[in-house]
Amino acid sequence: MTLALVRRAAVFCALTIVSPLLLAAQQQATSTVSGHVTDASVGRGLPDVQVLITGTRIGAVTGPNGEFTLTGVPIGARSITVRRIGYEPVVRPVTVVLGSTATADVALRVSAVNLSEVVVTGTGIATEKRKVGTNIATVDSALISRAQATTVDQAMQGKIPGAQITQNSGSPGGGGISVRLRGVNSFISGSDPLYIIDGVIVNNESGQLADLGTRANPQNRLADLNPDDIEHIEVIRGAAAAALYGSRANNGVVQIFTKRGTSGKPRFTSTTRWGTSQLRAQQPFNFYPFDVNGLPITRFNYQDDIFHRAPSWEQNVTVEGGSDQTRYFMSGNFGNEDGIMRSTASRRTGARVNLQQQLSPTLVANVTSNYVTTNNQLQAFGEQNDYGIMGSLFFAPTNVDFRPINGVYPLPPALGTNPLLAIARIRNPQTIERFIGSTKLSWTPLSKFLVDYTIGIDNTGFEQRQFVPRNAVLGTAPLATGRSQSVFENNRVVNQDAVTSYDWGSLGSAEMRTTAGANYTSQRVRITQATANGLAPVGDLVSAGSVFSAAQTDVELRTLGFYGQHELSFGDKLFLSGGVRWDASSTFAPSERWQAFPKLSASYVLVDNRAGSLNNLRLRSALGWAGSQPGILNAYSQFITFTQLPFAGRPGFVNDVTFGNPNLRNERAREWELGADAGFLGGRVAAEATYYDRLVSDLLFFRPLPTSTGFSRQFYPIGTMSNKGLELLLKTTNVDAPNFQWTSTMTYAHNKNLVESLTIQDFQSAGGYPNRIRAGEPAGVFYGSYAARDCVTGALLTDSLGRYRRSNQTADMGATLAIREALSHGTCNDSLNAVIGDPNPKWTGSFLNEFTLGKKIHLRALLDGVFGNKIMNLSTRAQNAGIASNSKSYERELLPYGDPRKLPPGWNARTQGIFQYWIEDGTFVKLRELSASYTVDWPGVRRYFRDGVDLTLSGRNLAVWTNYSGYDPEINLFGTNAGGLQSVQTTAADRGFDFGGYPIPRVWQLSARVTF
Amino acid sequence: MRMMRQCLGATAAIMLAACNLDLQNPNQPTEGQVTSSPDGVIALATGLQGRFAQSYGNYAYMAGLVTDEFASTTAALISISDAEQGSVPPGTGIAENVFNSIYRTVRTADDLLNGANALAGQFDAGTRSGLRALAFALKAESLGEALQSYQQIPINTFGQTAPTYVARAVALPVVRELLDSAEAEIAATPPSTFFNNNILTPGVNLPNVIHLLRARYARMANDDATALAAANAVGRTGPSALSLLTFPSPAVNFYANVTGGTNGVSPRRQWRLTMEAGDQRFTWFVVPSATATGRVGALLDLWNRYANPQSPLPVYFPDEALLIKAEALVNGGQIVPAQAVIDSVRTDCTGGRGIDDPKACLPPLAAGQTAATLLDEIYRQRRYELLGTGLRWEDARRRNHIFGPVAAPGVPNEGQRCWLPYALGDRNANSNVPPDPAESTSFPSGCTY
Repeated sequence: MTLALVRRAAVFCALTIVSPLLLAAQQQATSTVSGHVTDASVGRGLPDVQVLITGTRIGAVTGPNGEFTLTGVPIGARSITVRRIGYEPVVRPVTVVLGSTATADVALRVSAVNLSEVVVTGTGIATEKRKVGTNIATVDSALISRAQATTVDQAMQGKIPGAQITQNSGSPGGGGISVRLRGVNSFISGSDPLYIIDGVIVNNESGQLADLGTRANPQNRLADLNPDDIEHIEVIRGAAAAALYGSRANNGVVQIFTKRGTSGKPRFTSTTRWGTSQLRAQQPFNFYPFDVNGLPITRFNYQDDIFHRAPSWEQNVTVEGGSDQTRYFMSGNFGNEDGIMRSTASRRTGARVNLQQQLSPTLVANVTSNYVTTNNQLQAFGEQNDYGIMGSLFFAPTNVDFRPINGVYPLPPALGTNPLLAIARIRNPQTIERFIGSTKLSWTPLSKFLVDYTIGIDNTGFEQRQFVPRNAVLGTAPLATGRSQSVFENNRVVNQDAVTSYDWGSLGSAEMRTTAGANYTSQRVRITQATANGLAPVGDLVSAGSVFSAAQTDVELRTLGFYGQHELSFGDKLFLSGGVRWDASSTFAPSERWQAFPKLSASYVLVDNRAGSLNNLRLRSALGWAGSQPGILNAYSQFITFTQLPFAGRPGFVNDVTFGNPNLRNERAREWELGADAGFLGGRVAAEATYYDRLVSDLLFFRPLPTSTGFSRQFYPIGTMSNKGLELLLKTTNVDAPNFQWTSTMTYAHNKNLVESLTIQDFQSAGGYPNRIRAGEPAGVFYGSYAARDCVTGALLTDSLGRYRRSNQTADMGATLAIREALSHGTCNDSLNAVIGDPNPKWTGSFLNEFTLGKKIHLRALLDGVFGNKIMNLSTRAQNAGIASNSKSYERELLPYGDPRKLPPGWNARTQGIFQYWIEDGTFVKLRELSASYTVDWPGVRRYFRDGVDLTLSGRNLAVWTNYSGYDPEINLFGTNAGGLQSVQTTAADRGFDFGGYPIPRVWQLSARVTF
Repeated sequence: MRMMRQCLGATAAIMLAACNLDLQNPNQPTEGQVTSSPDGVIALATGLQGRFAQSYGNYAYMAGLVTDEFASTTAALISISDAEQGSVPPGTGIAENVFNSIYRTVRTADDLLNGANALAGQFDAGTRSGLRALAFALKAESLGEALQSYQQIPINTFGQTAPTYVARAVALPVVRELLDSAEAEIAATPPSTFFNNNILTPGVNLPNVIHLLRARYARMANDDATALAAANAVGRTGPSALSLLTFPSPAVNFYANVTGGTNGVSPRRQWRLTMEAGDQRFTWFVVPSATATGRVGALLDLWNRYANPQSPLPVYFPDEALLIKAEALVNGGQIVPAQAVIDSVRTDCTGGRGIDDPKACLPPLAAGQTAATLLDEIYRQRRYELLGTGLRWEDARRRNHIFGPVAAPGVPNEGQRCWLPYALGDRNANSNVPPDPAESTSFPSGCTY
């Protein structure tokens, strides 16, 4: 019976695939609509405007000058709907007559608030924003292209309230960027949201395949995407909005849509960029010309040798166009960026073809394909102190002459390598070959019924090589004998999505729509590694070695989900919806696998496009659940496994000391949010406010097991954590005169994170660093040694030489507790460690101002800030270590007695053990983006280029206002490697460490864009 | 609507059929895969011997540090130089290693027993008895090492969520029962040739190991009759008299692994300098040095044969059996036969019993020995014959020769402390871990069990 039903349905489905061909033969009469969309106040053509025949899927996006052509429009009285982010939508009637092209020119008015904007993320199917109970942030192509950023996530910095987007390093090719939406939500899945590009779930791993600084973050794989290809981005920030994505959506979802092309003759756009990057400011070092005995000594500033002014260059060509049935967008991109650290560079070459084909009036196919090759030449930094350049800089005393003698590079005395040697001879090339493609079929058999099916693939081939020549590092074998490594990774994600929706139309005063869908994702990661030590003097491949080792890893994750959603609307004012996702992942135990993630949402439009001072007002609220899965590293944690222990030359097995969890289930987040959107003063002021409250339960981490059982830990639900916060967005049109426009956008986000409960003892989240997960504190607080204070007065306790004393230490404070308490006048110094700082910001905010002068000049400035967070400056601590002694404060120890700046001997040695001493305020405001554009449209120029030449001078990271003393308050030792392969334990909570980071450069760029 | 439902149903059916969510882990075998195949169980036996070598090394290393045998080399970590001065705070890595590795060995022994029982039909009787005897013996010795390091120890750990700790009076009989089971197993069915050639580490004679261990723990239980009988059963001549753990490259002998680097230890020079004049046993263990000093100033000799990474490590020194026998005889009032046994250890010299063990080349004892002088002589011989086996610590304990911590560069005398603190790795997840035992503050002292 069931089988018969399945068979009948299968036959029907097969027919539906064939039927378009039949339907194509009996098309009804159609014609063409074309027109021009302009900005009502400036009169300039508007690109990237969505134009749709109302109630159908026949649509187009306007070209660079606002022109559009809609083909295949059934004849008769129709209407077009014209929409663009930042403008008020317009519906315009148009009469389509057989044999002639109907014209429809539309002028759009700027509107800061736009409830008619259409979003698809988290809603299953295209839905107007007004109907959605959550706040969905959208970033359009103009904002992205004006950011002049190397990567998409860089371009999003400062644009989305509630998103803390951090560039962890200044490596070329974007630097490793982590995105944290509404705080830390998991310790195992990183902080990264789920990224979807044109319906393809993409891999954004940031783990490196060789040791470039164990947990350092030179690049994340979103860097492979060319920002110029992007049409717009939708961001949903949490469980309430993301329930339909089920067990992967706890960290939010970022959906990226690439350009579709517009109908008409082929249009070419060429953009060329020339740039230069440089170190923003050098760090102070010990340049005192005498040593500890007062004897003259030569000191060197290695920063002059390590950093340089680095050029970059990028060329982008796009062509778009289309005919009756077809639209296309093609792009080619080549860019090379040298890093400010000598011998580092990143080069990206990519091509894209996006094609839309109308197969029949009811069937449309969309195909996207993107091929990218990224070539990086990187150097290790961060924790890598054997051959990492930054570690070597901070740990080397400044009196070593690193210049080679007879071709031999001297090595530093205690730690690290010779940075000149590393620059000249150590190589870490990466080659990434990546294909991202999707095919989407949209079928609309009835105007009320539609079916979409998408299949997407993201296939990343990643080769990392590493060559450390012999005698390049301190110490003995094996690394000192040289190392050559080649690691190949293939990371393939395939996803299939089917969604269907039925519009019930009006039922009395209510309207209803039902949506149902299914999703299947499979990710497979395969890694093969070959390593050789004992390298020959010449030759840098693995085959040049004499001692070999190899490894192989193969991991697969599958997720299957079904969802359903029902929407109700009353009088275009009240919108209610409810849905559920039913989700299963191969990671979880069969008994716990199927999980339901429900959601409810309500939106009420109180004021809709009314004249007067209050034009729009909408209240919204939503409640939803979502989950998160362990990453690739812990994909098989449900299994009790054995590990190899060969003995006496024979293969042996013993139990893995990590015990499997046969009841493993996903983390679960519950979130509700409440908010309002309002427009004032004729659309000149728009405000959005959202309050959210999220509770994540069943947080997964390793719980300790009694070691007497022969095991040491198990992946297990260990606690709960909450995030509560407020997000504000204010957009204003300050001046809107014919020849001068000035708009501002302000964002503010406050998030309060709290580890609510733990079923295990508090623990260090990043092995070896004082980030701690502790009940009753925010995730990742610094927990470590502190300087003793007088318990009565609060004054720092110093010894007879004026040096700090570490609390409760025999050497610093006295042999017995009684002596120490007497010295302290109390018990306040009785503990060895305390909470000494919080790396989570109190709030983040941004302030964007854009000016348009006349029609040709456009200026913009984006300030972006993080406030109230603490940073542990381990770079300067390294400088103060005895073996380095290269800090300014060590220099003060060398000064002669009597100098008022003189520090007592041993001052710096004492501070090494007091971690509190290294905590600094991490508050900063950055001039993130600054740009000036001018359109050169002299007749002589226009003869060759129809729209003139757009010249833009822009800068990124130009100025930083901060009290932080290191290179940059934004860099972080750890990326978001949590759950990545080849990485030591790191969690999303591990923030606020500056330890040998790659400084973020100041970048100037000049770009020229022409269309013809 | 029906159309829509059908289409949806078909899609769901296709998707469900297409994607199997029950994936296997290709990177590591599961418990089921290992314990359900004869090859897997045989690999467990090899893994057990590997783990035993590791836990035995950890135990002997720590026992050597807190007695007067070893001191840290210059590059060693501070916790190692603290331990050589008798200080072992809870959580010290090298002390945790003792407990954790011992109980990993115990777990693997239990896994092997279960596997050998579950697949009883797939092994021939001799192979099964060999597997079981090996598991019993190595589990027994591991628990024995635990009770020579900790005041109380857990004995029931397999499948427990919070193992309970018991005193030596309860634990020692368990160790002896395990050894009796091992002996009964091989007595009933001698291990097969397949077991001896393909499973047992080449160079190890399982019956001799079992006899020696029975003698060792009978002695500890003051059961002189069993100790005497078992010691007599230990083979004394020929290759089978020496059981060796072998370390073919790239494996590394435990002591070679800790010769250099941050966990480096070396024998204290005092060990050689306090020998009776003419005693040649030092040449087996160390290369004399006049200059080597440790991290906190201890005077050291350098390792001799253990410095070679591939050098085998004896499971026991054959003369331990003779010294146990002599002790049993003295306790039984048989002074003259006891002296003869001791003399056979003292006079063991080049050639000797044809095995490569430490050779004293000393003259026999003078006539007219008493029980007391012979017992002293037995302890002295044990000190020089059994360096680096961990037995020194128990000898200090049973003679009430705990002389307390000695700050460097002072030279410690016999035992510096009675017990190690319990492992935090267990305490953090097991509420049944007793409080750490208090160490004595007046010396010399004995230990409370």
